[in-house]
Amino acid sequence: MGLLKSLEENYPLIDFIFQKFCESRGILTVEDFLIHDLNALISFAWSQPNSLRLKQGIDQLLSIVDNLHRPWLNGVELLKDVQQHKQTLSLAYGGIDPFLHVALREGFVTELVGPSSSGKTQVCLQAAASVAKGYADRVVFIDSGNSFYAPRIANLVNQASFSASEQANNEALQIVMKNILCYPVFDIFSLFDVLHQLELKLKNQMFSVRLLIVDSFSSLIIPLLGGSGPYGHALMISAGNLLKKIAQEYNVRVLVTNHMVAGEGGSAKPALGESWKSIPHARLLLSRDRESNTCTISVIKHPSMAAGNQWKFRICDS
Amino acid sequence: MEIREWLTTDETAETYLSRVSTTRLPLLLPPLHRLPLRPGNVVEIVGPSPSGKTHILLQVAINCILPKEWKGVSYGGLEQSVMFIDLDCRFDILRLLQLLKLRIYSVCQLCAEVSNDLGDAGNWTCDEELIHKCLERFLYVRCYDSLEFLATLKTLSYQLQTRKEFASKVYFMMIDSIGAYYWVDRASTSMPLGSNNRKIFSLQSVTEAVVREIKKFLRVQPMLVLATKATVFADKSVPNDIKRPFRKWSSEDAAGQHTMESSPENALHREYMPLAWQSFVTHRISVRPSSQEYRASNCTTDEQVYLGQWLLPSLGFKDKFVIRDVGIIAVP
Repeated sequence: MGLLKSLEENYPLIDFIFQKFCESRGILTVEDFLIHDLNALISFAWSQPNSLRLKQGIDQLLSIVDNLHRPWLNGVELLKDVQQHKQTLSLAYGGIDPFLHVALREGFVTELVGPSSSGKTQVCLQAAASVAKGYADRVVFIDSGNSFYAPRIANLVNQASFSASEQANNEALQIVMKNILCYPVFDIFSLFDVLHQLELKLKNQMFSVRLLIVDSFSSLIIPLLGGSGPYGHALMISAGNLLKKIAQEYNVRVLVTNHMVAGEGGSAKPALGESWKSIPHARLLLSRDRESNTCTISVIKHPSMAAGNQWKFRICDS
Repeated sequence: MEIREWLTTDETAETYLSRVSTTRLPLLLPPLHRLPLRPGNVVEIVGPSPSGKTHILLQVAINCILPKEWKGVSYGGLEQSVMFIDLDCRFDILRLLQLLKLRIYSVCQLCAEVSNDLGDAGNWTCDEELIHKCLERFLYVRCYDSLEFLATLKTLSYQLQTRKEFASKVYFMMIDSIGAYYWVDRASTSMPLGSNNRKIFSLQSVTEAVVREIKKFLRVQPMLVLATKATVFADKSVPNDIKRPFRKWSSEDAAGQHTMESSPENALHREYMPLAWQSFVTHRISVRPSSQEYRASNCTTDEQVYLGQWLLPSLGFKDKFVIRDVGIIAVP
């Protein structure tokens, strides 16, 4: 959004006189217009000599503003959109796939929270492998901890292969590997950069993505928090909102990870706390029992699964 | 003579009841049932996440969009529209549909039992036309930042004239949740453009504009505003006492009592929205999950008990309720 001056080209009603009038009320940009009292502006316009013309300009500005928000939809239209565009995954191999397929839904941001070495990255890699294979569509993996490991993906894909011939398997593997795009990102600003570029590509339909993974999201945010300023939190919420926007508008599944830190009294708590909770649609808790080497994934919050649902699985080498 | 006339009854209980039930909203479910809420009131539901805030909104919305009566079955709804402004972008239409179907099903089942015409759950199919009619009354808009929210509010009366669904009466405006852009707005800065009388784009000015637009809209079309507000600060009152034992040393007895009082049940709600919004709110209720209480249900898992307490006006007691898919049920 920008200066009123820049609107002049497309909207002749917003001419020099109208701009001068707005400037006298402290309105230079569309944002200024939004926070300004409309009634006061209109009554001021009536006291001016060319009031009719100014009133038309205000109406024009209002209709521009009307395009800035998303359209009002009723429940029937919403339902139609969901039924057409937002499906859950419909493929299943073994391991945790069936669980992930229910848990990850198009348009949703899902958070995976768990202590160190509980298998967060493994779940992310597994999700990437099975989506890339099952849909033959793109997966974007944003990697902040150098944890993306291509041989592991190849391993996971091979595990799930069912074709007998090795040749066919190799070809399939090639396609799957090509569809997984990994972006190493080490600070929040490069994350914004990658996400904005992704959004632009999706908007221009140059690209389609089924799954977007940010592993680990919390390690990009944590260095910014602390202190008394609001900027760290603001960046966290902006990044979260951007993820939600990408998920919702372009029907992408988003999976982010959140590590755990020591909380009050020694018990572990998620690194991203109270303010973050309002961002993800679904939260899954991951834990691992070291003796039996089984991982447990349980639902903390999910719109279509009851909290407390559990799924046990084991991470194997090959 | 005149006195006698004055003393005679001029209204029976029946007429009194019908008069009262028409002027009041007969709708609100627990935990909102304690106070008579009217169009024009602004109710804030505050609580940590998750505490069932959005679920309360959905249940109220379902009550509002259901018809009074449909094909001879009384649903007891308001048959009015709901406007849902989603700032958190987490609304799920499938969830609403599921809750709506469950509500319709439970009403149908109740009717079937009364008339000894027991329908089987298996062969029960939902009336698609009824669902369609209900969903049409649900109006929804999603916002990703404060500017979109403001643009939505600014053009609300304009939309009201152009869209025919808006012409039918809207009873509720729901905002989920009002504090969604708190951090982003607090950190926002305006570009200096060399004008002295510009308002600075900040949390303060955005909130003032939001309140002004809603007020203006309520004057044209009175409706009940329900807004949720998530707590953005973790509750520090209890851990502090555990974390810092030296405090207790200084005044042992007083600190001991303090620990008793500041149990999570009594934790105060910490306000963070600007004054413009605070003074706009007429009613405030706090909801939170109860830390110890679980209630055995017929399922294998225990149900979480939630506590609801009115903070504005302050009512001394807490209501306990459980959240089920069929609705929110008050428990003793």
